[in-house]
Amino acid sequence: MNRKKRERLFIMACLSPAVILFLIFMVWPTFEVFRMSLYRWGGFSNTQTFVGLENFKILWNDSNFYRSFQNTILLIVVVTVVTLAVAIFFANILIREKLKGKNFFRVIFYIPNILSIVVIAGIFSAIYRPSQGLLNNTLSLINLENLHQLWLGDQKIVIYSLIAALIWQAIGYYMVMYMSSIASIPESFYEAAALVGANKWVQFKDITLPLLWNNLRTTLTFFIISTINLSFLLVQTMTGGGPDGSSQVFLFYMYNQAYTNSTYGYGMAIGVVVFLFSFILSAVLMKVTKRDVLEF
Amino acid sequence: MKKKKLSPEALYKLFIYVAMITLAISIIVPVAWVFMASVKENAEFYGNPWTLPQSLNWSNFIEAFQEANMGTYMWNSVLVTALALVILLAVALPAAYVLSRFKFKGSRFFKTLIRSGLFVNISFIVVPIFLMLLEWDDTLRLAMGSGFFLNNRFVLALVYAATALPFTIFLLSSYFETLPHDFEEAAHMDGAGYFKTMTVVMIPMAKPSIITVILFNFLAFWNEYILALTLMPGANKTLPVGLINLMAAERAAANYGRLYAGMVIVMLPTLVLYILVQKQLTQGMTAGGVKG
Amino acid sequence: MTKEKLMKFGLASFMTLSLAACGTTDDAEDTDTSSEETTEETDTSSDEAVTLNVAALTSGYGEEMWNEIETAYESANENVDIELTLAANLEEVIRPNMQAGDYPDVVLLSVSREEALTETLIKEDGLENLTDVLDMNVYGEDVKVSEKLLPGFTDTMVTNPYGNDETYLMPMFYSPTGLFYNSGLFEEKGWEAPTTWDEMMALGETAMEDDKYLFTYPTSGYLDTLVGSMLYASGGSDFFESAMSYEEGAWASDEATKVFETIGDLSQYAHPDTTANANPNDFTQNQQLLLDNETLFMPNGTWIVGEMEEAPRADGFEWDMMAVPAFEDDADRYAFTFFEQIWVPSEAQNIDAAKEFVTYMYADEAVDIFAESNAIQPVEGSTDLLTGQNEKFYAIYDEGVLPAMGGFAATDPVPGVSISDELYGKVDSVMSGDVSVEEWQNSVIEASDQLRPALQ
Repeated sequence: MNRKKRERLFIMACLSPAVILFLIFMVWPTFEVFRMSLYRWGGFSNTQTFVGLENFKILWNDSNFYRSFQNTILLIVVVTVVTLAVAIFFANILIREKLKGKNFFRVIFYIPNILSIVVIAGIFSAIYRPSQGLLNNTLSLINLENLHQLWLGDQKIVIYSLIAALIWQAIGYYMVMYMSSIASIPESFYEAAALVGANKWVQFKDITLPLLWNNLRTTLTFFIISTINLSFLLVQTMTGGGPDGSSQVFLFYMYNQAYTNSTYGYGMAIGVVVFLFSFILSAVLMKVTKRDVLEF
Repeated sequence: MKKKKLSPEALYKLFIYVAMITLAISIIVPVAWVFMASVKENAEFYGNPWTLPQSLNWSNFIEAFQEANMGTYMWNSVLVTALALVILLAVALPAAYVLSRFKFKGSRFFKTLIRSGLFVNISFIVVPIFLMLLEWDDTLRLAMGSGFFLNNRFVLALVYAATALPFTIFLLSSYFETLPHDFEEAAHMDGAGYFKTMTVVMIPMAKPSIITVILFNFLAFWNEYILALTLMPGANKTLPVGLINLMAAERAAANYGRLYAGMVIVMLPTLVLYILVQKQLTQGMTAGGVKG
Repeated sequence: MTKEKLMKFGLASFMTLSLAACGTTDDAEDTDTSSEETTEETDTSSDEAVTLNVAALTSGYGEEMWNEIETAYESANENVDIELTLAANLEEVIRPNMQAGDYPDVVLLSVSREEALTETLIKEDGLENLTDVLDMNVYGEDVKVSEKLLPGFTDTMVTNPYGNDETYLMPMFYSPTGLFYNSGLFEEKGWEAPTTWDEMMALGETAMEDDKYLFTYPTSGYLDTLVGSMLYASGGSDFFESAMSYEEGAWASDEATKVFETIGDLSQYAHPDTTANANPNDFTQNQQLLLDNETLFMPNGTWIVGEMEEAPRADGFEWDMMAVPAFEDDADRYAFTFFEQIWVPSEAQNIDAAKEFVTYMYADEAVDIFAESNAIQPVEGSTDLLTGQNEKFYAIYDEGVLPAMGGFAATDPVPGVSISDELYGKVDSVMSGDVSVEEWQNSVIEASDQLRPALQ
């Protein structure tokens, strides 16, 4: 057996278990989502009728779907922008500044990320409750009663209440991710910059940000996927999509149609759109954010 | 003059502290509140939420534990999580190593394929997975008279491992890529085969990133509930699913104390573990675990 | 949209809990001791030993009565071994099993729940026809089921979902619904319970001056009984049926418009917190608004008394219930009768034994057991078993108030269209002013138009 052959064999042996598992439990089910989106099926009976693109045609005129689409985009944009900014800010100061209790803050900030989303939903329900809620009661304590809101009851606010919960959950995770990148930037870069009189903002803008860029781009994909997923779990356990569907999001609507409305195929058609949407959005973002990679 | 120069710096510091303390409070207070609420009497939930509990009503915990069968569920969660981690590492490590260290025909294809798996949300493939296992079970039932794939903790662990592959391989190969090639060459010089090079030389070097992978996936598996809910419809449940059922029952009966006690029971193991390993968890990433 | 009222009941929770704990151990023992399980698959004849899987939603009535029913039936019918599945989120527990081909034999689970599992089976023709059960003798008695049942309960759209005389769901525990209020407060203030909508709105003004609101609802799903009663009052039972079966023009008629507009007027007097609490997590907070004397009325069922038993309340608080006000003086007033349903999936293993078990639900023995937990079966004489407050509630029909019953006709599933989202869910938006009454009515008309061709 020559070396080349041995290498091929080794590669095959290492790769095949992962590829097989991946094909069975991820690729095939995804394919099934696409396939079932062309059928009409209630979920229990044996009558699956092929309807072609009919489900997508209905989707095109479904105003409830548009609402869930709008809500999801709003969620993705706001959660990404705010979390990104806050996470970079904290990551930067926790690495670059001399502060007391750095370790303490780092430990605390990461806590939301280890909690089950079921627990997070429970916590935020307690926070947002109108009369016995933590938030409204705190506002009363500091005499800001005019800021009282129906956090989950006002159709204009409910989506932002969900956004706050998602940001709360995500900051620590991304912060720690960015901290790893910032920590690996050689100290000498900053020393050199300080010598030429660059202040902290300039240092951040000209050194930290460019070197962090690739890491940031990668996390954009994570943001899209995890926001779609977590918003579904939160909506399901907190608002039930209400009031009157105003906190409806992608996957919640998909489940709603696939199960509650007994239109499984239609639900899968929504799934297909969600999948394509997240894929295309990530691809576009990767393209537009492409910069010459700075290495050190 | 000097004072004026210092002032913006001091202000900046002050701003940083205020920002950090605000965020810390927004995290500590609600979590601590849940702990406090878990020992309250039911009637105490109708007034001001900030009042301290009148007495420590531990019975909430005892009752939540018994009613929700938490003992069994916790054991299931431990078992499934541990199994899934073992399977995941056994499968993902060699794959990540090969993908990052070897150039071969199709290596780009496989990389892209697995990376594209990052876009597949578990929430929307869970039903097809369920239906697939169901079909296998039906076939088996015809052949052998009993099903195997559903309500099986091992299968659940396998599915967990499979769905965690894209992220894990992505993470591990990013780390392997940063390692210098000298080590492998040296190992080859010493006459070590491919397998030995991988297991004895390279994998130990990836330890920081392996720890990261373990901790991340531990949390993901431990807290997962959509798959657990769907693939284990029988009496055997995992902890988060048990919590959902408990919460539904307690909410129906307006038993808020027990509801929060249930939340604490689920939250406590992860919190304790986190406090114990938080250094490795956050520093594992700092060691270059994730680099774009 | 959301309606989980049954899930939301709660008896004295302390009781429920200790009983629930017993319940679990009981179940476990039963499973172990069922020695005759082997015959289960092959034979469904009721003379042979069978294991009957009974799944029931745990509601405010508690679990204890089901455990007692199990014991009582097993000793009455020695051939049957009952395995109980009891859960507050029954759908999540049994749906995956059902998809896996493992069906319970008997299921107590009503329509109009958020998860709509029962509706799904109706739409998918997954229920066994139970019309013949009506002609069977009640188990252990010499009376036919149909002779024992109160009249009217088996000719509703709910029990006969396909719009013909075939009964697929059998009626269980019923309770009158209406508008609940604090009669203590009314006495103290010298207010009269309004009998017409005009009086109702006038009271709304009076209450405003007192910093109180006229109206709230736990979640928009609870409006079904209110809207139903109003449709009856506005156009009579024929009109109600035509609206429920999506007849052309029914929802656009003057009768319907009157209902929409009245609810629109009501929204001006609704407590502003209502929509914030109107979700599965926080609906009890809306119910609390009554106990705190912040709001005068809410639509609900008799279970509310037990559900809110532990909640603190204003001094002199006393639950009372009135029928939905009439549109004019001396016009008919209705109180919707809410009842649960029990059914047999057509995929069940032991259909004959299941039907036999269903007849037992109306046996004197069973009726007594249920009544002890305040669950009242729709059989003759069951209201005699009532005590205290419940006696008052169930007596509502003695005072000239008419009973109303029924629900929407079954349709094939239509993607993206849900009548209850439009008719009830939209009320959240009407209350907050995001949607006008006219827009609301139009969206109901539109949904009705889309569902009509899909009628089964």
